[in-house]
Amino acid sequence: MAKILVIGAGFAGHTAALYLGNQLGRKHEITVMSNRDVFGYVPSWVWVGVGHMKPEQTIFKLKPVYDRMHVKFVHAAAKEIHPDASDQFVVAEEIGTGKEVRWSYDYLVIAPGPLLNFAGTPGLGPENGFTHSICSLPHAIKTRDAYLALCERMKKGEKVKIVVGTGHPGATCQGAAFEYIVNVHKDLLKKGLRDKADILWLSNEPELGDFGVNGVQIKRNGIVQKSSEFIKSVFNDHGIRYQVRTGVTKVEEGKIHWQNYEGEEGITEFDFSMLIPQFKGQPFKYIGKDGEDVSAKMVNPAGFVLVDGKYGLPYPELSQTPEAWPAQYNNPTYPNVFAAGIAFAPPGPISKPFTNKNNLLIAPAPPRTGMVSGVIGRVVAMNIVDLVKTGKMTHQERMTEMVAACIASMGDNLWDGNAVTIVMRPVVPDRKKYANEFGRDLFISHLEMGLSGAWMKFMLHYTFIWKFKGLFGWKLIPE
Amino acid sequence: MQNEQEFSKAEKFWMNFKLYQLWRFIVLNVKVYTIAVQSKFH
Ligand SMILES: Cc1cc2nc3c(=O)[nH]c(=O)nc-3n(C[C@H](O)[C@H](O)[C@H](O)COP(=O)(O)OP(=O)(O)OC[C@H]3O[C@@H](n4cnc5c(N)ncnc54)[C@H](O)[C@@H]3O)c2cc1C
Repeated sequence: MAKILVIGAGFAGHTAALYLGNQLGRKHEITVMSNRDVFGYVPSWVWVGVGHMKPEQTIFKLKPVYDRMHVKFVHAAAKEIHPDASDQFVVAEEIGTGKEVRWSYDYLVIAPGPLLNFAGTPGLGPENGFTHSICSLPHAIKTRDAYLALCERMKKGEKVKIVVGTGHPGATCQGAAFEYIVNVHKDLLKKGLRDKADILWLSNEPELGDFGVNGVQIKRNGIVQKSSEFIKSVFNDHGIRYQVRTGVTKVEEGKIHWQNYEGEEGITEFDFSMLIPQFKGQPFKYIGKDGEDVSAKMVNPAGFVLVDGKYGLPYPELSQTPEAWPAQYNNPTYPNVFAAGIAFAPPGPISKPFTNKNNLLIAPAPPRTGMVSGVIGRVVAMNIVDLVKTGKMTHQERMTEMVAACIASMGDNLWDGNAVTIVMRPVVPDRKKYANEFGRDLFISHLEMGLSGAWMKFMLHYTFIWKFKGLFGWKLIPE
Repeated sequence: MQNEQEFSKAEKFWMNFKLYQLWRFIVLNVKVYTIAVQSKFH
């Protein structure tokens, strides 16, 4: 009997657990270890952050799902990983009791998502700083409360400054911030308060609409359209000001300090701000059989797990080398250890990085979106199934092959809501396969704005919660 | 887009014209489903 342990029950870990339970659960021991006992449907936290969705509509309990899927659940926070062949186990702290638990494994899937590194930018974040975040459910609730309090001030006639974007020169997840800023715009419009707010998009992207993926390009009526022009039109239409090529370096009460590509330093004042922090890997200890630190074999300096990618290529070479992106997501030194979702180390950025004259690197990190995380979770699970059954992995999918479909809602109302539907293939450009300067399939890639997107976003919320609950037909719903 | 800066009146009309958007909803769903489901065969 094989023992398979999955750390984390988000898009990546939970997807892996569903497939593992389904394929191996009756004969082998599948365990999920998570520090939260609920699944969180993260994309809808944007709506929580403007007070349009109740927090409890975005979560459900994991244990009943796992009971049905033949998966054990351990409610604990992983702390140490001991990957050496003779004695492989994970040490964790049980939530509630604080007791130490040890869990041995034959195969390990590391999928605990990001460490939200607010400390990387002094003054950033809702706990020890002055800005807000929608990257966790408690943060989204706090953001909602602060936003609604701001609305009360505006109702009394006060004019306010709202800043949304990235809070670190190397932050990712611009898509979520974009969704938040347009939802704030739409909500203020509905409340009759839009004229009371000056709204600014502040981001580390090289261009508007870059989203950390080098933008999205499509061909329509023979003409190439770019997301930079598209998002510019959206912002102009909504009266949202924008400032890109900017790395936030520090935040003080009501003041954001930044530097731009030109090396200029500046301060932007705000009354309310939601800025995405830098993401890092979870700070696990990786310990060898003699008690030595084996982190260098397991993770990169940011704490992301090294897998079967080609690391260390300079950007110009990486951008021409699609095969540098990992395919099977297992660690070269410890091949029975896999990483899925945000936890795996990408070989480098997708968007062009820039270092300004003050030596500040302004470079959006590659996003590992929900769809990407789910696909990797499935690939990893299916390879473990292969290894258990035949000893040979047969599944692989690089980000240079993956499709991503993102729907950025701009108001959730089903009558007059709106959303931008973005489809790109592949997520990471493959300039060898697609003979155009963007390295994308311009026919499949798609950019469209309209009410239909709002319906799709609404439908996706319920469809994915259905899938993640492992209900009838869940496997037919793609990641 | 009528130029790089803003959406035209016609584009805005179609963005919220319910019957057309129902058509787009069907087209987009079929498109996204068919390309996303291909990933399952990797
Ligand atoms: C506001 C917002 C909106 C977004 N919208 C979209 C969207 O519309 N479409 C899209 O494709 N993507 C979207 N994303 C991105 C998407 O949510 C992420 O890509 C995805 O959640 C990453 O999945 P993951 O499994 O790697 O990490 P997570 O989803 O973060 O899951 C990690 C899990 O590990 C658990 N964990 C953490 N530490 C430990 C530990 N020490 N021990 C045990 N368990 C641990 C966590 O509790 C969590 O359950 C959005 C992100 C945000 C923040």
